[in-house]
Amino acid sequence: MSKLYSIAALFKTPDEIMSAAAKVADAGYEKYDVNTPYPVHGLDGAMKLKSSKMGYYTIVIGLTCMSLMLYFMYWVYNVDYPQVIGGKPLFPLPAFVPIMFEITVLTGAVLTVAVMLIFYFKFPNNAHPLHDSSYMKAVSSDKFGVNIEAVDSKFDLEGVKAFLSSIGAYQIDEIYFDEEEVNTKHKILDSKFVIGMFLIAGFTSISVYLHMNKALYLPPFDWMLVQHKVTAQDHSDFFKNGISSREPVNGSVARGFMPYLYSDDPDGASENLVNPYIADEENIALGKRKYLTYCSPCHGDLAKGDSRLRGQFPNGPTLHSDKLLSWTDGRIYHVITEGQNVMPGYKKTVTRKERWAIVNYVRTLQRALDATEEDMQ
Amino acid sequence: MSTIDYTKNEVNVKGNRSLKEIDDLIIAPLDRIPNMKFFIAIGFTSTMLLIGTIGIALSFYYGTGLWGNNNPVGWALPIVNFVFWVGIGHAGTLISAILFLLRQRWRNGIARFAEAMTIFAVITALIFPIIHTGRPWIAAVYLLPYPNQHDIWVNFNSPLLWDVFAVSTYFTVSLVFWYVGLIPDFAVLRDRATGKIKKVIYSIFSLGWRFSNRHWQHYEMTYLILAGLATPLVLSVHTIVSFDFAVSILPGWHTTIFPPYFVAGAIFSGFAMVQNSLIVIRKVFDMDDLIPIKTLETMNKIILLTGTMVGYAYSMEFFIAWYSGSQPEYFTFVNRAFGPYAWAYWTMFSCNVFIPQLFWIKKIRTSIVPMFIIAIFVNVGMWFERFVIVITSLSRDYLPSSWAYYRPTMTDFAILIGSFGLFFTCVLLFTRFLPSIAIAEIKAVSEGAQPSHHEGEDHE
Amino acid sequence: MSNHEIQINYTKKDLPKGYLKFGLPLLVIGIITAFFAYQLDPMRASFNNIISLLLIVSVGMGAIFLVALEHIAGAVWSVPFRRIAEQQGFIFLATPLLALPILFNMHEIFEWAHLDVVMNDPILYQKSPYLNTEFFYARSIGIFLIMTFFLFVYLRNSMSQDTTQSQKTTKINALISAPFMAIFAISITMVAIDYAMSLEPHWFSTIFGVYYFSGTFATAMAVLTLITLNLKENGNLLKEINRNHYYSMGGLMFAFTAFWMYMAFSQYMLIWYANIPEETFWFLPRMKNGWEYLSIGLVFIKFIIPFGLLLNRNSKMDPSRLKLASFWIIGAHIYDMYWLVMPTYNRMSGTEGPVFGWIELGFISLSVGIILVFYYLAANKKNHIPIGDPKLKRALDFQI
Repeated sequence: MSKLYSIAALFKTPDEIMSAAAKVADAGYEKYDVNTPYPVHGLDGAMKLKSSKMGYYTIVIGLTCMSLMLYFMYWVYNVDYPQVIGGKPLFPLPAFVPIMFEITVLTGAVLTVAVMLIFYFKFPNNAHPLHDSSYMKAVSSDKFGVNIEAVDSKFDLEGVKAFLSSIGAYQIDEIYFDEEEVNTKHKILDSKFVIGMFLIAGFTSISVYLHMNKALYLPPFDWMLVQHKVTAQDHSDFFKNGISSREPVNGSVARGFMPYLYSDDPDGASENLVNPYIADEENIALGKRKYLTYCSPCHGDLAKGDSRLRGQFPNGPTLHSDKLLSWTDGRIYHVITEGQNVMPGYKKTVTRKERWAIVNYVRTLQRALDATEEDMQ
Repeated sequence: MSTIDYTKNEVNVKGNRSLKEIDDLIIAPLDRIPNMKFFIAIGFTSTMLLIGTIGIALSFYYGTGLWGNNNPVGWALPIVNFVFWVGIGHAGTLISAILFLLRQRWRNGIARFAEAMTIFAVITALIFPIIHTGRPWIAAVYLLPYPNQHDIWVNFNSPLLWDVFAVSTYFTVSLVFWYVGLIPDFAVLRDRATGKIKKVIYSIFSLGWRFSNRHWQHYEMTYLILAGLATPLVLSVHTIVSFDFAVSILPGWHTTIFPPYFVAGAIFSGFAMVQNSLIVIRKVFDMDDLIPIKTLETMNKIILLTGTMVGYAYSMEFFIAWYSGSQPEYFTFVNRAFGPYAWAYWTMFSCNVFIPQLFWIKKIRTSIVPMFIIAIFVNVGMWFERFVIVITSLSRDYLPSSWAYYRPTMTDFAILIGSFGLFFTCVLLFTRFLPSIAIAEIKAVSEGAQPSHHEGEDHE
Repeated sequence: MSNHEIQINYTKKDLPKGYLKFGLPLLVIGIITAFFAYQLDPMRASFNNIISLLLIVSVGMGAIFLVALEHIAGAVWSVPFRRIAEQQGFIFLATPLLALPILFNMHEIFEWAHLDVVMNDPILYQKSPYLNTEFFYARSIGIFLIMTFFLFVYLRNSMSQDTTQSQKTTKINALISAPFMAIFAISITMVAIDYAMSLEPHWFSTIFGVYYFSGTFATAMAVLTLITLNLKENGNLLKEINRNHYYSMGGLMFAFTAFWMYMAFSQYMLIWYANIPEETFWFLPRMKNGWEYLSIGLVFIKFIIPFGLLLNRNSKMDPSRLKLASFWIIGAHIYDMYWLVMPTYNRMSGTEGPVFGWIELGFISLSVGIILVFYYLAANKKNHIPIGDPKLKRALDFQI
């Protein structure tokens, strides 16, 4: 047994619908509606509708989301990962303004439409009793209509029909609906719809995951990830021993180092090397520091060969011997660099400048213990 | 030459068609199999699209070295095309939103079509930021602020990021605006649908619209709000695009007039494109009465206005370049006019400033063939404007030893042709599947559509 | 819209006495203040004079622009108000009164007016073909003459149409508005560059002309709105004019307030971002010594508050709200001109921080007095509606 939803009446011209709507409103009906193929000016007033409040939603939503975005940008730049970009301050308000504006417009527009469709219209709703009626077909094309619902307090089947024909309707229909069909609850909570949304969400998430984490690592997207160049610590088929890291070629010189030409040629060093550093205060102070660090354990603080090692370890000889006094700076430098006998070479631990400074310092000590008449004055 | 009678209201829709006839006329292209002209047109545009697809596929396979981008012109055709297409989109929003706010009823016949063009233009524009890095699969990842394991955020200081927000907002809001306008039309289609599948599809998209006046009331307010939001949005989008250039220190790029200059230029080229497309549509689908010559004439006036504004901006830039006393700035402009790209500059200048002046002549404004040709020149000129701005400033900036001449390659042109192909294919498909004129809106301004007695209410 | 015949019942009525009653004393006080100011502190007086000049040009030249805009756009809603706008354009004739003291005092204000400075400064020397006193005089005089010419053409055509009701006049008006627009664009840019931007001759901004134009449009519309509402209350206008007609005025003020913010923000942000010292130095004095409060205040006073006042659809139609917004916008424009001009006064006089005293108040009084008195001179004993305009009936029937 179908239940009556409403009585629907059709009119032909905009003027007719205007006066009809006004009369229906004046007659005291509340649950009624007017259907027109396009908005007719003045109908809102005839139906005594209160003006639409959509604008307030827009402002509130827009400003709220703008503030949230501003806070987010502030948080990113000042709390989470502060870094100076392009010399701009950590709170570059002029740079934030365009984004704040766009977010206001985006959220204001989209969410207002969502509010209108979901909460005001309760869309989507394709099961409304008016659908598929001849009334609907007429009203969507070129006719205008009033429908008064059966649940209205003043509703009375014959009375309403008479009233509608008295105000000029040319056609009056009864609209019925199936109890299961109509549902004034939010369509958005319908179980099929909700399950459908979940399925779509699930499908989207899974496919995004598969794309981002699996598909984008397949060729051709991996062409930059998988490259044929040789990387450090890697296995390599190119080389016989399978190791990609190779030793430097013979004769390679590390940066900042000069090869020492007189490695096993003390006489060459003696003849050719000249101390490039002037024995000024700074240089001697450097030499002293380095001497006391590296040389004094074996040769003693004053180069007298009287270090703490006396008796326990092959002694470093005194540097004031005649032999030493006759050596050139270059010869001393050579010994420091390469070592001799038990003494190790210091070329890996003492820089060239420091070695020359030590030479200057040793010369100072030698001069101190072997002063001439002029030195004393 | 007819004289205007200022005492009479302008007629926006001619022919005194009944509402049912309007329905039939607009929906007819959707119901019938398209004629041969349509298939030829779409064949042509699909070929262009194919050329572009090949260009892009080659660029993916071999890398962006196939393009002409190099030092010093590292930003070249991709960004020129991007700015060009985003600009074209602006006319659509201007017609649908700004003219709505200004209560220019003549827009009702063309608003739907123009909005659709906006959406397709933005889609076409979006191709370029996605491909121009050479690794499009990470485009979204690097552009959107989301928490990630590197703890890396996007650079909110950069106008390129503002572009991301602006263009995506523009796309979304335009889509929403267009869709909201389509809801009543989907309902009309639903109620006329004969096939079952079509009925289901239209029912879904119409969301169950019942033409209830209680709904129309909120609908109109929301439409007004969307128009009110879309207006500053459209100004802001091309402003932010102009910021891409204007925030730099490059002479010829860093100048404060860029924002309104770009917006005026965008509206200028957009209107020319819309005008061209409308002329084609009205001929193919016999919609001469729904899109009368008066509408096209008004659009031509707007083309003239914005072209003059662009001319003003050119003069200001040039004057201030001299006034500033900054030698690189002055050189940039002299170089544009007389340097190696002079051919591009003078194409731009004549197409943008001189040729639209023909629209002062009423005969030209109201004749189809001349206005069509002029609008094509306008589009050519506007493409060259972006070309001149981007490439001359980069090709010769501060250090003469870095100067070089840029040539776009065949792949660059293939992608450009493809962008036109994509745009026009989408437009043609739109005309086949959706009503190209907003049915409810055009009915509302047809003769006899509104009640004759107002009682002084202030309603929309 | 509807085509039922409206009969135009217009009876000419005198302007309300208020225009002279308030205008004349304000004008006299202004002149006396200006006179004494020039004796006591000519530099500060000259700067205030520039502020007044920029305001009067905005109100006057802006009004002529609004008239031309209606003609060239073929707008219908604005027809009932066009006569008021034409008469408002008469205010532009006061410009020589304000410009002459500046033109005689150039060396006080403009450092490029000093030949020795120019010869020693390569940048100023480079600009000297444009920035020299002779060309400056020529530009000011030329702009004045050509704008006055257009003003009188529009006024004459409009007044004659009252009796002839000729459609041809409307057509001619539309035709001459086309070259007017080009000339106006150049003129308003030159006024802005000459009187405001050249105060800091090393600085330049291509958007400056448009920035000044945006404030001009809003201010001219604000003055038009105030006069319209005042005349309507006084019964000088037709009874058919109602809230619907005011909507576009409110809407345009709203739109150009937003447009001003857009111009101001663009200019500021681009210069801030590139951070080039030869451009940023213009903003730096506006960010210290007390000016920073005025700069932030500018955003609130010229954008946020008028925006909020006119956002609602109803506010754009409600007379009391429109009056408040219009007063506010005019005041905000004076504030904006002050903000543009006075920091240079600080620099040239060695003072620090914004100054405000009897001189500023005196010149504001002078400006307001000029607006009221010159409008009175133009409009008294004249028609306040273009009764012969063929579009008038359509306009009166207007619904938003």
